[in-house]
Amino acid sequence: MISLQRVTKVYRNGVTALEDVSVEIDKGEFVFVVGPSGSGKSTMIRLLLKQEEASRGDVFVAGKNLSKITSFKVPHLRRNIGTVFQDYKLLQDKTVFENVSFALEVIGKVKHVIDQRVPEILEYVGLGDKLNAYPDELSGGEQQRVSIARACVNRPLVLLADEPTGNLDPNTSVDIMRLLDKVNRIGTTVLMATHDQAIVDAMRKRVIELEQGKVVRDQSRGVYS
Amino acid sequence: MAPRIEYFFRETAAGLRRNGVVAFAAMSTSFIALFLFGLSLLIAREFQLVTTRLTGNVEVQVYLSDPVNEGTVPRLTGKLLDIEGVAEVQYWNRKKSCEQFRRLFEGQPIFTENTPCSVIPTSLRIRLSEVAQFSQITSLLGCEVVLEPDGDAHQQCAEPGVRYVADYQELLERLDALTRVLSLSVFGIAVIMLASAIGLVANTLRMGMFARRKEIGIMRLVGATNWRIRVPFLIEGLVEAMLGAVTAIAGLFIVKVFVVDNLRGTAPWLPLIKNSDVVVLMPWILLAAALVAIVAGTIGMRRFLDV
Repeated sequence: MISLQRVTKVYRNGVTALEDVSVEIDKGEFVFVVGPSGSGKSTMIRLLLKQEEASRGDVFVAGKNLSKITSFKVPHLRRNIGTVFQDYKLLQDKTVFENVSFALEVIGKVKHVIDQRVPEILEYVGLGDKLNAYPDELSGGEQQRVSIARACVNRPLVLLADEPTGNLDPNTSVDIMRLLDKVNRIGTTVLMATHDQAIVDAMRKRVIELEQGKVVRDQSRGVYS
Repeated sequence: MAPRIEYFFRETAAGLRRNGVVAFAAMSTSFIALFLFGLSLLIAREFQLVTTRLTGNVEVQVYLSDPVNEGTVPRLTGKLLDIEGVAEVQYWNRKKSCEQFRRLFEGQPIFTENTPCSVIPTSLRIRLSEVAQFSQITSLLGCEVVLEPDGDAHQQCAEPGVRYVADYQELLERLDALTRVLSLSVFGIAVIMLASAIGLVANTLRMGMFARRKEIGIMRLVGATNWRIRVPFLIEGLVEAMLGAVTAIAGLFIVKVFVVDNLRGTAPWLPLIKNSDVVVLMPWILLAAALVAIVAGTIGMRRFLDV
């Protein structure tokens, strides 16, 4: 599902963010990418979204070589990828329902699809009773659920999560992890960048550790360090 | 397709609301630019009308000395008709000239009552097919330009029986130069205003995009195409420019009705632009507005083209 083949990323300012990284992630896997700040986790996610291009090597997502697809096709690639961030990235002037429906609306889905899928996915993430609430009326954990609902509403093949629990307390983080696990169990490939040690240790999933842009460990059913 | 169109218009309306003041500035600059643009075209049209009126019946008037000798008229007519470009030569005797004079100054008894027919000169009226032939006539009749003390000039002629030739050429040349300078400068101002309208509309769009950068970022992440992101802004620019165009057209009609039509009474000899002259401008003004919107959109969103 995701494949990085000898990928190197050097930014224009000369910083090498990733160096000769090769990773294979199969369909339906749940993978943690761990490592200190600046180790290349976010760069890896940006490469998978084609927000950045690899300087060397090939990146494949859902069977497509990202260096070969035109910028015209990038939006269609992203429709197969859900994204979740530490800061939720919700629109404050839209309700929970509107935040999620926005994602379908802007890719041209028709109203009856939206009206069916949005309540369904919000029910799934446990916010079935908060459709008309605004983000600032929700707790951090609830806001992150909205963002997960938005990421999953178009039924992506891959879910990329960049520090999704970074702003949450441990108990709420556990709830969010349960939700991500649930999303993973229905077949979505999940790649989560984190440095939340407790969570990685508790989940016992595959762990890829980056250090200064290099893969230093790739362990199934691993722990943080 | 229906929800898609609804989406575009909802987003456009939201953009206009959010940026009300700047959108209004963009609209009013478009209005001024398009108004001046239309005005320059109307001025050019007015001068075209005046010039056609003057050159369309270009007549060289050869005034004859009193009293007119028998034989002068046929002799001069024959000579003049030999010149290429002279279409017609007509003799206006005293009666005809006097009638024409009375008609021209109808309702102005100061002129008609104090001017006896005997002082009105007789003339040969020559219709030219080309204005340029004027100099041939003056050289044939041996005329020279004589400056009068008041600055006017007329052609004093050596040919027997000819008093003078009325010189319209210089007037026409001056009028032509004036036309060109006036409409060029108004057009120049219009072009500068159009450029600033483009700048302002582009700026409005950019501010709108900046205000909504978070939204645009999310749209990118969930896979909205560039067009879906840009079209609401393009429509926004188009709406601003079109509102400017509509008000500019209204403004031109107001000028036509309240300024031009008021002149109609005071100068009956002057051909004036008609409503239809404003109507034929409308598509051009709308086209200029569309151009403003498209160029503004291209400039304003250039930075947002990358994925």
